[in-house]
Amino acid sequence: MAALQEKKSCSQRMEEFQRYCWNPDTGQMLGRTLSRFTLHTPLPAVWISLYYVAFYVVMTAIFALCIYTLMCTLDPYTPDYQDQLKSPGVTLRPDVYGDKGLDISYNVSDNRTWVDLVHTLHTFLAGYSPESQQDSINCTSEKYFFQEKFMAPNHTKFSCKFTADMLQNCSGLVDPNFGFAEGRPCFVIKMNRIVKFLPSNSTAPRVDCAFLDQQKDAQPLQVEYFPPNGTFSLHYFPYYGSKAQPHYSNPLVAVKLLNVPRNTEVLIVCKILADHVTFDNPHDPYEGKVEFKLKIQQ
Amino acid sequence: MVKKTLEIYSVELSGTKDIDQTDKGDDGKEKYRGLKNCFEPKKNHQKEELKKELDLDDHKLSIKELEKKYGTNIITGLSSTQATELLAQNGPNALTPPKETPEIIKFLKQMVGGFSILLWIGAILCWIAYGIQYSMNKSSSLDNAYLGCVLALVVILTGIFAYYQEAKSTNIMATFNKMIPQQALVIRDSEKKTIPAEQLVVGDIVEIKGGDRIPADIRLLSVQGCKVDNSSLTGESEPQARSSECTHDNALETKNIGFYSTTCLEGTATGMVINTGDRTIIGQIASLASGVGNEKTPIAIEIEHFVHIVGGVAISIGILFFIIAVSLKYHVLDSIIFLIGIIVANVPEGLLATVTVTLSLTAKRMAKKNCLVKNLEAVETLGSTSIICSDKTGTLTQNRMTVAHLWFDNQIFIADTSEDHSNQVFDQSSGTWASLSKIMTLCNRAEFRPGQESVPIMKRVVVGDASETALLKFSEVILGDVMEIRKRNHKVAEIPFNSTNKFQLSIHKTDDPNDKRFLLVMKGAPERILEKCSTIMVNGQEQPLDKSTAEAFHTAYMELGGLGERVLGFCHLYLPADEFPESYSFDVDTMNFPTSNLCFVGLLSMIDPPRSTVPDAVTKCRSAGIKVIMVTGDHPITAKAIAKSVGIISANSETVEDIAKRLHIAVEQVNKRDAKAAVVTGTELKDMSPEQLDELLTNYSEIVFARTSPQQKLIIVEGCQRQNAVVAVTGDGVNDSPALKKADIGIAMGIAGSDAAKNAADMVLLDDNFASIVTGVEEGRLIFDNLKKTIAYTLTKNIAELCPFLIYIIVGLPLPIGTITILFIDLGTDIIPSIALAYEKAESDIMNRKPRHKKKDRLVNQQLAVYSYLHIGLMQAVGAFVVYFTVYAQEGFKPSILADLRVEWENGNVNDLEDTYGQQWTWYQRKYLEWTGYTAFFVGIMVQQIADVLIRKTRRNSIFQQGLFRNKVIWLGIASQIIIALILSYGLGSVTALNFTMLRPQYWFVAVPYAILIWVYDEVRKLFIRLYPGSWWDKNMYY
Repeated sequence: MAALQEKKSCSQRMEEFQRYCWNPDTGQMLGRTLSRFTLHTPLPAVWISLYYVAFYVVMTAIFALCIYTLMCTLDPYTPDYQDQLKSPGVTLRPDVYGDKGLDISYNVSDNRTWVDLVHTLHTFLAGYSPESQQDSINCTSEKYFFQEKFMAPNHTKFSCKFTADMLQNCSGLVDPNFGFAEGRPCFVIKMNRIVKFLPSNSTAPRVDCAFLDQQKDAQPLQVEYFPPNGTFSLHYFPYYGSKAQPHYSNPLVAVKLLNVPRNTEVLIVCKILADHVTFDNPHDPYEGKVEFKLKIQQ
Repeated sequence: MVKKTLEIYSVELSGTKDIDQTDKGDDGKEKYRGLKNCFEPKKNHQKEELKKELDLDDHKLSIKELEKKYGTNIITGLSSTQATELLAQNGPNALTPPKETPEIIKFLKQMVGGFSILLWIGAILCWIAYGIQYSMNKSSSLDNAYLGCVLALVVILTGIFAYYQEAKSTNIMATFNKMIPQQALVIRDSEKKTIPAEQLVVGDIVEIKGGDRIPADIRLLSVQGCKVDNSSLTGESEPQARSSECTHDNALETKNIGFYSTTCLEGTATGMVINTGDRTIIGQIASLASGVGNEKTPIAIEIEHFVHIVGGVAISIGILFFIIAVSLKYHVLDSIIFLIGIIVANVPEGLLATVTVTLSLTAKRMAKKNCLVKNLEAVETLGSTSIICSDKTGTLTQNRMTVAHLWFDNQIFIADTSEDHSNQVFDQSSGTWASLSKIMTLCNRAEFRPGQESVPIMKRVVVGDASETALLKFSEVILGDVMEIRKRNHKVAEIPFNSTNKFQLSIHKTDDPNDKRFLLVMKGAPERILEKCSTIMVNGQEQPLDKSTAEAFHTAYMELGGLGERVLGFCHLYLPADEFPESYSFDVDTMNFPTSNLCFVGLLSMIDPPRSTVPDAVTKCRSAGIKVIMVTGDHPITAKAIAKSVGIISANSETVEDIAKRLHIAVEQVNKRDAKAAVVTGTELKDMSPEQLDELLTNYSEIVFARTSPQQKLIIVEGCQRQNAVVAVTGDGVNDSPALKKADIGIAMGIAGSDAAKNAADMVLLDDNFASIVTGVEEGRLIFDNLKKTIAYTLTKNIAELCPFLIYIIVGLPLPIGTITILFIDLGTDIIPSIALAYEKAESDIMNRKPRHKKKDRLVNQQLAVYSYLHIGLMQAVGAFVVYFTVYAQEGFKPSILADLRVEWENGNVNDLEDTYGQQWTWYQRKYLEWTGYTAFFVGIMVQQIADVLIRKTRRNSIFQQGLFRNKVIWLGIASQIIIALILSYGLGSVTALNFTMLRPQYWFVAVPYAILIWVYDEVRKLFIRLYPGSWWDKNMYY
């Protein structure tokens, strides 16, 4: 403490610090006598520092070499393993999250409550405008679009076009409010991309939405799917990765919920029905399905 | 016989004073000194009472005065009512047991040591962090709360374990303490009654006989040939004669007092109880012992030092990264959580348990070698011991008189004094020896107790005086059945030994049927025997005793006396058959037979010989750089003789007195620097200032303290401790107990030791073998070395566990390793290997190096920390990161995309996070990958820890010099590491709460090159250390 109480000018302090770093009278560096470590050389502290520098440089080099080698072994198009991606995740737009998962609520009569939801959809679908999709090709086949070779320009593979208008009533083109205004809202279901993933054997994967806790006597959820039947056409699969298909866009399915009861919170689940898509993982609520709460007030 | 220098013996018993002065703290000079002349008024009544006992003058009072003082009558004794009253007033005649620490306190004490404190702080910090997280986000992860609980649990479980270990050795101790309730023969209401000794009160008249333990401090009233063994009180191995006269002003010196807990060896006596229970001399010494504070063990100090280092590192890294986190625009509360996380990550969770187990393993190993350790931490203390203050009687010596030398035919012969006497090599062909052995056998009243034929001779119980016992056993060993010889030589008359005659005589018929003469045999004080002789036997022939033979006798007598031995002279006479026909009736009262002009046969000297293992043990201690000091209550001559024979004073070193004698100059003229050895008596010590004592302790390498009181033993121990030495004290008597307590490690003798000594000690030698101490030193040093290795091993992975967190904060990678996973390393895979290091054999002869310097050779030094943290730890971190990056890259996340991904990665609302290949991941899929990353990192550390445990086997030697397979436990440890990891990954991989996943088999081998690198690096380090000792490399890389 005494050191702190002593009044010293800044330059004095600096001088003292310098002296601590290198004291020419005693040959001390950082308070240590260099010659303390002297045996083979007059400057062993330098040796130690050099040693550390060398040690860390070598360690860094070894690490860098390892990572470099690792990168060299990786296939640029396909990941080596897809242990966690056995079944694709499913997401919903608009995505408003509450404490536990997706939680969407709005008031039909108060457009301030849903304008953001609509805006989200518009922004999301902007990626599906014809301009954004111009680098992709039109596909008509209802079969998997396998591409062995890189036929597309710049050594890539072709991607199939998916434009917002395919969502018809839910495209935002017909009804810019996506049905929110009349209480029959549109939701867009997106399936996550997985490289070389084939969702089913022959039939196209289909979205199916229902109330999660369907009572026997209650009316089932009426849904209108776009494209019709709520299918993801097989020609969007398989996905060859972002390097091979830089212009690839996930196919979408829009669901228009027609009979959502008012002023009550309902739980809705939209599942993807396909041979290789599972939706029964107890830990992952977004695998092969998406659940959301919906409350429409009037 | 050598005259005992009684006048120099003055025991200052002043328990109160000492305690008082100790309480006052280190007021230096006056401590323990000048006790007699500065009585201060005491507030405490009990202390006042104790002080009064110092002026014990009952030995000076006449019987009448005594009767008056204690209101008793020596014929009728006390009345029962008086006795009951006194008993109620003064309490039972028993020592108050040392204040037992309540079990719960002992238990709690196990949980507040240096290490435990660190873990407690860690646990509390964890809970604080959880509290902060919970207040910010109700659904926050419970990791911190779990971690806090685990830390607390570790402390508690380790505490229970340590408590159990110590309780176990306390239980072994307890079996010693079980004593048969003592009985006392007392006169009350004019009747002789046998009552429990506990019920004795002051004024009781008690009778004691040979074999009894004296039930209280008694003033002897009438005595018949009574001798007592005071060795446990004063350290004198020789039996002390008792009489009813006051022979000395000092109560401890006078012959008419018998002390509580000493043993009456022979004869009978009647005495009046003058002190009971804690007021007895023994009781006062015992209370002195309880007033001495216990010192902190060296290992506790080392662990404290270690905790400081770890704490310092933790807090500085923590604060550094707190500042970094804040400047990286992290929320302050988040930064605080990081800070806590970093500090807690530095806590070596497993080390407390490891150290405790390691110590108890060594304790167990030592117990097998008959060193019972009462306090786990004391295991190491012996290893750092630099001075051993050893008691003589019973510790260095066998505590029984044994024939050591014989002188006949003008020659001194050496007898074997080892424990079994098996090797008697002196010349037994001479006719003189035949005569001498006959006298020895016949002029002896001691007898073996019947029914011990199967017991080795030296272990048989003998009825009789100590020197007669020695003679009996000696002759039994050499001649065979002594009782048979005695039968053949029928005894016709006998005069037993008494202090006025100073000789013992008996007359026998000879076993030669043709020789009708009687044989008169006599033994006694040599000068008295010589007076009675006119001839001397040389080579079996009687020769006149002339001046030159008398001279030879005196030389031999002085020489044997100078060895501290008790010398007896032997002579005989064949009574002429014409004067003493077969029918002659001998009358011992009128002595109708000649007792002069006998034939001198020889001398025989006896000593309490050193245990045969001691000289070797002392030499070993010497070569281990440990100074052995003898501290005894016995006389300086005996002490010096024993010291010389066991090597405490080595053969070629001299004391100042020796030099003076050799050069024939005055002691003052001798240059003190020339003397290596010193014999210091209690009186000399009394006049020394602490500075002089320090000087004495530093200047002489071989020191014997004789005639010391319990207080002075304390002063000596303190003096040694002032030299920065770690002091071990060995002892068996009550008089040793204060010093045992004061010492850094007190070592008591298990068989011969008194309960007071065993209670005060930290360690008990179950076989009373001083050599066990050497084992203890070896084990202690080994455990110190091995603890170093264990700690180095444990610290290493701390960096590998901490780095991920730091990188996570700074670079924003998905967290490479989670808290729970770290716990599984610290408390799972690493535990058995780190314990296995305790089984490592010493690298070089640890008994040939100096004891470690208390202040310089630390358990955890800068080199150890730097090498573990910045070299091996860092390499481990790099290796583990490679495994981590490999897993992430092969699953789709290349390192480039991982940077700064943290916020999105951890956001549960992002369920379509893109990887390098454009694949989209839900939160749970990412989480699962994160756990795979944890497992990978865990496996990476585990694999490198295998290399780490192998390199830690040695600090200087190559592993191949040490032997890769000598320590099998290491391999058990490595196997356990792998098996635990396999179980965690493949067995429990599906339990999501544990955050382990089934790792692809190839990832187990990614870190193997790094493990090999670590091993090669360390081999190179060791090679350079061996090649260039003293170089900067050696100084910075050797821990």
